[in-house]
Amino acid sequence: MPTEDNRPIKVEVKNLTKRFGDLLVLDHMSFNIRKGEFVCVVGPTGCGKSTFLNCLTRIHMPSEGDLYIDGVPADPKKHNISFVFQEPSALPWLTVADNIAYGLKIKRLPKEETEQRVNQILDLMGLQEFRNAYPGELSVSAEQRIIIGRSFAMKPDLLLMDEPYGQMDVKMRFYLEDEVIRLWKELGSTVIFITHNIEEAVYLAEKVLILTNKPAKIKEEIVIDLPRPRDITDSRFIAYRNDITDKIKWW
Amino acid sequence: MERMNGEPKALRNVLYWGLPVLAIGLIAIGWIAFSGSNPDLMPSPAAVWSRFIKTFTKPIAKTTLIGHAWASLKRVLLALMAAWAFGISFGILIGWNKKARAFFGSIFEVIRPIPPIAWIPIIIMWFGIGEFPKILLVFIGTFVPLVINTSTGIEMVDRINIQVGQIFGGNSSQILKDIVIPTALPSIFAGIRTSVSSGWTTVLAAEMLGANAGLGSLVTRGWQGSDLSLVMVAVITIAVIGALLSVILQKLEKVVCPWNH
Ligand SMILES: Nc1ncnc2c1ncn2[C@@H]1O[C@H](COP(=O)(O)OP(=O)(O)OP(=O)(O)O)[C@@H](O)[C@H]1O
Ligand SMILES: [Mg+2]
Repeated sequence: MPTEDNRPIKVEVKNLTKRFGDLLVLDHMSFNIRKGEFVCVVGPTGCGKSTFLNCLTRIHMPSEGDLYIDGVPADPKKHNISFVFQEPSALPWLTVADNIAYGLKIKRLPKEETEQRVNQILDLMGLQEFRNAYPGELSVSAEQRIIIGRSFAMKPDLLLMDEPYGQMDVKMRFYLEDEVIRLWKELGSTVIFITHNIEEAVYLAEKVLILTNKPAKIKEEIVIDLPRPRDITDSRFIAYRNDITDKIKWW
Repeated sequence: MERMNGEPKALRNVLYWGLPVLAIGLIAIGWIAFSGSNPDLMPSPAAVWSRFIKTFTKPIAKTTLIGHAWASLKRVLLALMAAWAFGISFGILIGWNKKARAFFGSIFEVIRPIPPIAWIPIIIMWFGIGEFPKILLVFIGTFVPLVINTSTGIEMVDRINIQVGQIFGGNSSQILKDIVIPTALPSIFAGIRTSVSSGWTTVLAAEMLGANAGLGSLVTRGWQGSDLSLVMVAVITIAVIGALLSVILQKLEKVVCPWNH
């Protein structure tokens, strides 16, 4: 049995409801995410996973319900949030290095610190040789690594990722999965990670939130009680994976 | 990635260098043939060349060809600088601010279809035929394309790019400066390109109606004095300067918007 979790609450969602016109997408969702928790969100295609994350950052305003980060309404100017969008979102007019530095410049970090973090991220993401290239000149996977790098560079308290590794080949995905875990452990960040890939969810998460079909509700929260580094061939790992897969299929 | 269309690269290079040369060659041959058979309608290249030399040895209105070209250029550049400053700012304003768009947009829609040349009579009546009215006329002709291109570029900004700015905590002036304006730069630059060519055309029209210096005044002078060679000299100079301006702008665009290729 997992021990009682008494970390303070980082994200509090109460009765979150979102409609686009007549289309009900999120239906009275309530749950908490604790400080330093790594949560994966899975659910059927088009059920409202991105919408949920976009409400959290106030890209969309919730139709009803309350949403707090550290007890106050989410505000990117106050909280140190990083977001990896599902769609490509590198800024085409900035070089790879400037894209990674983008958030740091807004936060007015000292120049040397910015320089040093950008270099570290370029190495981490294997983008050093492209530092002066423009995103439009790179492959989809490389562009996605810019965006992931841009969010890691912020050393965020709250890291939100919307299917960040969907475009990656398996090798790159495994590598970046370990990197996000490393970042999470190093910084003690809270991570909300949306994925289609159940294996990825079980590999990464402390807790998996399963959403129902649209309109999305929380169907179940599953605590993944496996030691790290996790072994995807381990029988308990596979049992978790199959269990979640079934729960998504049978709504 | 380059699309392969079967032609070897070397052949393609020859083709794309050769075709423009061929086109210019054909025009030259046509000119020689036409002026040979209709000497009163079209002076020969040799006659134009000697007229060209004469603009330096025997200045017109105490000004050489260079002086006339500079007079026209100076007017265009002064007007352009004013138009860039005001047109781009105004375009950003109505592209970004919905209230400003609602207010100015309608006025602008009315003024927009008026060709710059149509302003000539009004402007001459109000301001005479001095330096200022010519510059004003060019300003009017270049202001419009700048505003249109700038505001369209601003409106086209990708929603997701603005969201990136918001997520990383940018305030609205940072988002305007770091996200919206860079997105609009290629389109602003297209406006600058249009403004230069339309400014160049407008200044010549203005000068043709009354000026004692400028390439447009040379055209009128040659026309009224039945000096067709002078007209040709002026026209070719106009074309060459127009082409040079456009080459300079192309180079400049690569410097200002390096990602856009
Ligand atoms: N801005 C919007 N306006 C109207 N409808 C929207 C908007 N954004 C999303 N939707 C609708 O909301 C529903 C949920 O979309 P959302 O993108 O949140 O799903 P998702 O779970 O992220 O899907 P995917 O697995 O494809 O990423 C969809 O039916 C979509 O059409
Ligand atoms: Mg989505």
